[in-house]
Amino acid sequence: MPKITIDGKTAEVAKGTTVLEAAQQLGVYVPRYCYHPKLPISGNCRMCLVEVEKSPKLLTACSTEAADGMVVRTDTDKVKTARRDVLEYLLINHPLDCPICDQAGECGLQDYYMEYSRAKSRFPNEDKVRRQKRRALGPHLVLDNERCILCTRCVRFCSEVTKTSELEVMGRGDRSYIDLKEGKALDNGYTLNLADICPVGAWTSRDFRFKQRVWFLKKTPTVCLGCATGCLVEAHHNKNTIYRLSPRPNAETNTWLCDRGRMTYKSVSAGDRLVKGIVKNGLIELEPALREAAARLDEARDAAAVLGSPWLSVEDNSALALLARALKTENYSFDFSAEQGIKDGILINKDPAPNTAGARQVKAAAGGLSFSDFAKRAASGRIKLIVAEARAAAALKDELKAGGAALVVFAVNRGEVPEGAQTTLPYASYFETQGTFVNYQGFSRRTRPSVEPPEGVRPLWAMLTSLASYSGLSLGLNSGDDAIRGIKK
Amino acid sequence: MSFKITEEFRAKADKLRARYPRPDAALIPLLHELQREAGYVPEEGMDELARLLGLPYSRVKAVVTFYTMFDREPVGKYHLQLCRNISCHMAGAPDLLAHLKRALGIDEGETTKDGLFTLSTVECLGACGSAPVMQVNDGYFEKLDTAKLDALLDDLRHGRVVPGGR
Amino acid sequence: MENILLKDNVTGLESYFAAGGYKALKKALAMKPADLIEEVKKSGLRGRGGAGFPTGLKWSFVPKDAEGPRYLVCNADEGEPGTFKDRELILRNPHALIEGMAIAARAIGAGTGYIYIRGEFVAEARALEKAAAEARAKGFIGGNMLGSGSDFELYLHRGAGAYICGEETALLESLEGFKGQPRLKPPFPAVKGLFGGPTVINNVETLASVPAIIDKGGAWYAAIGAGKSTGTKLFCVSGPVNKPGVYELPLGAAFRELLEKTCGGLKPGKKLKAVIPGGSSTPVLTAEEAWAVKLDYESLAAAGSMLGSGGVIVIDESQCMVKLLQVLARFYHHESCGQCTPCREGCGWIEKIMDRLESGKGSPKDIDTLYSVAEGMTGRTICPLADAMAMPVMSFVKKFRSEFEAHAAGKCCPPEAPVKH
Repeated sequence: MPKITIDGKTAEVAKGTTVLEAAQQLGVYVPRYCYHPKLPISGNCRMCLVEVEKSPKLLTACSTEAADGMVVRTDTDKVKTARRDVLEYLLINHPLDCPICDQAGECGLQDYYMEYSRAKSRFPNEDKVRRQKRRALGPHLVLDNERCILCTRCVRFCSEVTKTSELEVMGRGDRSYIDLKEGKALDNGYTLNLADICPVGAWTSRDFRFKQRVWFLKKTPTVCLGCATGCLVEAHHNKNTIYRLSPRPNAETNTWLCDRGRMTYKSVSAGDRLVKGIVKNGLIELEPALREAAARLDEARDAAAVLGSPWLSVEDNSALALLARALKTENYSFDFSAEQGIKDGILINKDPAPNTAGARQVKAAAGGLSFSDFAKRAASGRIKLIVAEARAAAALKDELKAGGAALVVFAVNRGEVPEGAQTTLPYASYFETQGTFVNYQGFSRRTRPSVEPPEGVRPLWAMLTSLASYSGLSLGLNSGDDAIRGIKK
Repeated sequence: MSFKITEEFRAKADKLRARYPRPDAALIPLLHELQREAGYVPEEGMDELARLLGLPYSRVKAVVTFYTMFDREPVGKYHLQLCRNISCHMAGAPDLLAHLKRALGIDEGETTKDGLFTLSTVECLGACGSAPVMQVNDGYFEKLDTAKLDALLDDLRHGRVVPGGR
Repeated sequence: MENILLKDNVTGLESYFAAGGYKALKKALAMKPADLIEEVKKSGLRGRGGAGFPTGLKWSFVPKDAEGPRYLVCNADEGEPGTFKDRELILRNPHALIEGMAIAARAIGAGTGYIYIRGEFVAEARALEKAAAEARAKGFIGGNMLGSGSDFELYLHRGAGAYICGEETALLESLEGFKGQPRLKPPFPAVKGLFGGPTVINNVETLASVPAIIDKGGAWYAAIGAGKSTGTKLFCVSGPVNKPGVYELPLGAAFRELLEKTCGGLKPGKKLKAVIPGGSSTPVLTAEEAWAVKLDYESLAAAGSMLGSGGVIVIDESQCMVKLLQVLARFYHHESCGQCTPCREGCGWIEKIMDRLESGKGSPKDIDTLYSVAEGMTGRTICPLADAMAMPVMSFVKKFRSEFEAHAAGKCCPPEAPVKH
């Protein structure tokens, strides 16, 4: 293992480690634009130049392999001058439009300029190279070639990650520009990652553009529930509104995030967001809705059933199991299975539900019918009422028709509600409450609330507790964790 | 203009590809071939070549826009490319350029109305010992002066000189 | 002495053969590859493309135990302004190149060779195609060279207009069908080059010098020239001289001899002002410096310039140095591949300053900016194109500052008719 010294700190690093990576391990930050840990090394921006003993020229830390006995300095005048020069070169043709640029506040040029340069421009504004300004490329992105610093991260992302190779640097010299085939949309399912990895404001998100200055945003680490992959993400929000989701890169599951996953936050404030109950297609206040559902439950009692859901957290599934237990019914099921695994070689899972594995954990603790037995009973007419989550209930469409059972469902958005539901109750989405989800790899991960739920809307376990109490039953829950503990008793 | 790859072109492509362990190495030779046939590199030609070689279109376009010899627009029957680099400059290239503009009534990058001549300036053609130099299609014309230029234009107009290419 | 490279009447195979051609290849095929490399090392031959790296050493970098195909590539992408020797060599003595390549291929164990020739050289490409066909027909190249059991397939590959492809890794990228953008090194081509295989890239003149070395021995070659600059070199003389052209002289020849004897001196009425001795990228010499200099690697380095490609650009007193630097700035700006920040942005910046200065709209501050932009580009990029721009800029400003100052003071030359400053 080579031993390398950087700015006086020494470490042994694995063979093949680059100087930049070794510096990172030693807590020495080396500025960079084109380098990205998950993309092939390009070495074009020249921002990471460092001084290596015995080398007359400065070397790029990103592409230089650490060698035994290597002595590196990142803090010499020579290095500082090089950084200042590179920044000056990058800025001469960069437009001075920070006040109207969405990248402002998270811009590599702004940040490094403050850190490494602060020099006055020696370049006349009228000499700047003009390139194509903002242009929508595909459903999610806008490209401003004038802001581009040609680091080629986007080009490498499309050739190495999505392997779609739509993008290239066309032309040459300072007439170069990023482009794809004229008239084609950039839509490979992962395009918003370009807005993330673009170190400047060349690629920006159409969804996020001009919505919010980034320095106002608060970031909450949470989990994407777009499929069974369960990517780690962070929700960026301000004043009780979420503005975007970004990946939280991790070794286990994801560096990137798919475009569909990024848009999942939109359900929170979508037009069909449920903040009240629905009885037979009519919106009513929460309390009467809960009373209505309780009345249906009382009617059915022995013939009531409870269905878990791969879309719900372990906590909320556990609460449903506790309801079944309180109802003393055998008619309940948490038996969900689905083929799992990455289907596109990148992130998107074959299983569209986020918690198939978590629902099975509840089954392991609380027992219940197999899904097919449950479905048979529903179809046979033995079951008169089913309490379920909307999307799980939708899977029983034919059986419900055959058996005639009434449905009491929980839903976040009206669009999830299956036709013919008797009563629909809202619950707090997982951007508003915490919940445990088990992804396809078996990792148990918790969402964390970024925003408050709409007034009166509470987590599913809490809504269920109210429903039960109106029916004279006690689930004994003060938290979601109580539910998990409860089913193990 | 539409461009279709002919059987003949495909046969040439197969021959060229056989020279390299990877088919995409034949891209630049095939672009030369394509330009020879079509007179320039049309958009459809890039599509067809990308398909033929199994390459992303963007790669073909990047290559076409990087190298100066590939024309994205049709050029005249004779593409006059006057060297403007240091040795040719010292030998009077600026005067020759002015002379050509006057004689043809066009500016750099333009084509005469009769479609006969396109005028361009280029960087060093690698014939500095016989400066000033102009390339016309595939041929070099060296040690030029205004009288020789006039004679050359006349010869070209009357088909007395036929530089290769196109 | 007799020319090694520029010979008369050896264009065709028969005449080349009659003059002793392909004798060296026959000899080489009977030698061990290691001995061939040793012989070239002994000759002291250095790369004639511009960098001057010892050729035998370069060949020896190919790993002995490397698996898979190895490649020999001839760099015939002659594009350095002021340089036109490879063209002349190819037209006059193409078989020397082909024979040299066959020998080099044997030395490094390459079964395939490519000649990458700049796209504009159509006649030169045809001449090479013809010569290669002749050599193939006689069994000098191709499968089982001269019954030796060694194969050497040789292909011609035309470039498409990009100066940068003269840089060896950009050339490899171009040969593989990509944009000509230089690669990060390491890995060096000798280890991982063309199509990922070990590759040696040599200039036309370098390879064409090999047959004589193998034929007459490395020691014979090393005795020609001066010190570590062994052998002969092709000098390309352009500018206002009586007999511009390509001349073969032993390294170490005096510039004065080249200009006054070989080229017949400056044209009547012309007075020497400056010389760019090794192609446009090498630092300019003042007349005084030039008159005193010898033309070899060491002497030119000691004079603050470089032998480079041997492109000797002669500049007389009627020329404006500001205008000439503007011409060069436009060239490098046009040719920068755009990959590295300092070169991409710096070349354009320099051209813009030069445009301002040349037209009399600049200021004295522009001269300092010009110099510091060039300084900031030096040694900070993947390939030496940035340095190739910076060297003329810095040397022009340093040695002819008064002309820049005159322009900065608004005394610009009338368009296209430069005056004395």
